[in-house]
Amino acid sequence: MPNGFGQIFQGVLDRLHNQATTVLPGLLAAAIIVLTSFLIALAARALLYRIFKGLAIDRFLRRSGVAYIMDKQGSFRATRLVAEGAYAAILITGFLTGLSAFNSQLADHIIQGFVLLMPKLVVAALIIVGGVWASQYFGRGLLVWAVNEGLPAPRRLAAICRVMIVFISIVVAADQMDFAPRVFLAAFIILIGGFVLLSAIALGSTASAEFKRFFQGAGHEPERIAEKSLWNQL
Amino acid sequence: MPAEAQRAVETIGGADLVVGIPSFNNGRTIGRVATAVSAGLAKYFPQLRAVVVNSDGGSGDGTQQAVMQAHHEDASLLLLETPLSATHLLSFPYHGVPGKGSAFRMIFEMAHRLGAKACAVVDSDLRSITPEWIDLLIRPIVVGGYDFVAPSYQRHKYDGTITNSIVYPMTRMLYGHRVRQPIGGEFGISGRLVERYLRHTEWETDIARFGIDIWLTTVALAEGYRVCQSYLGAKLHDAKDPASDLSSMLEQVVGSVFTLMRDYEDRWQAIEGSRPIETFGFRFDVGLDPVPVNVARMIGVFERGFRDLEEIWKLVLRQETYAGIRTLAESASSGGVFHLPDDLWVRTVFDFACAFQQPPVARGVLLRSLTPLYIARVASFVVETEYMVADEVEQRIELLCRAFERNKPLLAAQWRGEPVKEVAHA
Repeated sequence: MPNGFGQIFQGVLDRLHNQATTVLPGLLAAAIIVLTSFLIALAARALLYRIFKGLAIDRFLRRSGVAYIMDKQGSFRATRLVAEGAYAAILITGFLTGLSAFNSQLADHIIQGFVLLMPKLVVAALIIVGGVWASQYFGRGLLVWAVNEGLPAPRRLAAICRVMIVFISIVVAADQMDFAPRVFLAAFIILIGGFVLLSAIALGSTASAEFKRFFQGAGHEPERIAEKSLWNQL
Repeated sequence: MPAEAQRAVETIGGADLVVGIPSFNNGRTIGRVATAVSAGLAKYFPQLRAVVVNSDGGSGDGTQQAVMQAHHEDASLLLLETPLSATHLLSFPYHGVPGKGSAFRMIFEMAHRLGAKACAVVDSDLRSITPEWIDLLIRPIVVGGYDFVAPSYQRHKYDGTITNSIVYPMTRMLYGHRVRQPIGGEFGISGRLVERYLRHTEWETDIARFGIDIWLTTVALAEGYRVCQSYLGAKLHDAKDPASDLSSMLEQVVGSVFTLMRDYEDRWQAIEGSRPIETFGFRFDVGLDPVPVNVARMIGVFERGFRDLEEIWKLVLRQETYAGIRTLAESASSGGVFHLPDDLWVRTVFDFACAFQQPPVARGVLLRSLTPLYIARVASFVVETEYMVADEVEQRIELLCRAFERNKPLLAAQWRGEPVKEVAHA
């Protein structure tokens, strides 16, 4: 009996030893790699904050309105973008390299999946950033135009324009990543269809009111407000 | 320059004076303008060889034919019996991007190749042009040795509000010369200044296309050419609005002023105050067409702008300026007297000028968002000058110009990115 217990105990110890000698070096190596990459990422971020100016990118960020999306005051700078980007990239690379130290199938699957997904992820991110930029550009243009033309609810119009453009960019990005493409496409079609239907109802109801006004007050021209011509402005 | 224009230059050989008339579908008025121009040349410069050039943008209403058929009865129109030298009357379509700038370029190229001492340009939709205008635009150059003659008109107090509230005060403050109508449309230009214009590279840009009038004036002022102005009386146009709306007109004119500020930043920052320039011509009073205005609607446009354009104005205007605009909007909504103080308007224009250089939003959006503020300024001006006569209104504009000049150090500091200290009121 004691001999049997000793054998079991020995077996457990052997398995533990075996597992420890198999996993621990990998774990240790992974920890060292992740820690090293973390330190490199910190150093790279600090260095980029000091040396990278990116004035041209700053100008683009400000003009495009992206800076104001990231920060309400518009003080978001390219330095921050590049430094934080480099920090995240080094950290992710270090983490994936650390995973590969385990030399297991699961780790390989994760790495492979991530590496394959990475280009699509980058393209999708760029599409969304582009969409946000375009939504700001066209939204502001529409806002100012609507105000100058005296249209009702200019801010609402601009908001609708922005939402539509961002939504289109999300649909395209989802399609690019093969992420529930049918769901997004269906949602997009429903949204556009709903918008067209709403516009048609609004137009129809306005037109009927106009017809009513015309037939009730036929012959009565609305009082024209005297305005100076454009030439008089110059 | 089109081939037929080159052939005409070779045939004519040379000319002392060239008068250009840019046009696009002005068949109704251009015949009269061409007649007045050739009569003016015949009456006031009979001893000089002159060419009248119509630079047309592809009109389809017989504009070019109207020019070629223009003639004047010497004896009855000019009260002269001596034979007059013939004036060449030419009409060509210009090439290049559509716009007044391209039309001017062809006129200047012809003037340069013909070796003209002086060149004048007049609008083709004028109803009030007389032969004397040609004398007033050209004589200061031929006799007085000036390089640039700007027009001066008598205008209704509510007429020319972009000129009165932005372009004149800004040009005067920046370049130190009191050119009363910097974007008048009629100009006299010396041969050497024509040559300088042609050497510039801006002909393909928006400035030459849309802001040609302010560009001509600014180049002459900033580059130190001799500038004067001539009083022409009233300027009456053909009653036809341009295809653009107010905000795009404002965008073109004000955008050109701001762009030129960047081109000549070293020049304007070195200039302090302003001085009057020589004015030629006999000043006489004329009856003016009334200019209808609707103050309530204008205030409404401003209030809507304040409500809806907050996100853009907050990016463009400094905090102090935005606070002033907010106070104005609150006063408007409470039904108080609508008054946009000169200093607040000056700071608003300065903020837009500085924001234009490093725009927080697209430049077009930035400039168009100025429209409700400009309308507020016009409304305030109309309220303030309602019972004023012409001379008093001119004094009022003079006060605004002084406010611009007084605040110039503020603009210079803001332009250089230095902290801005408010200037004490005079």
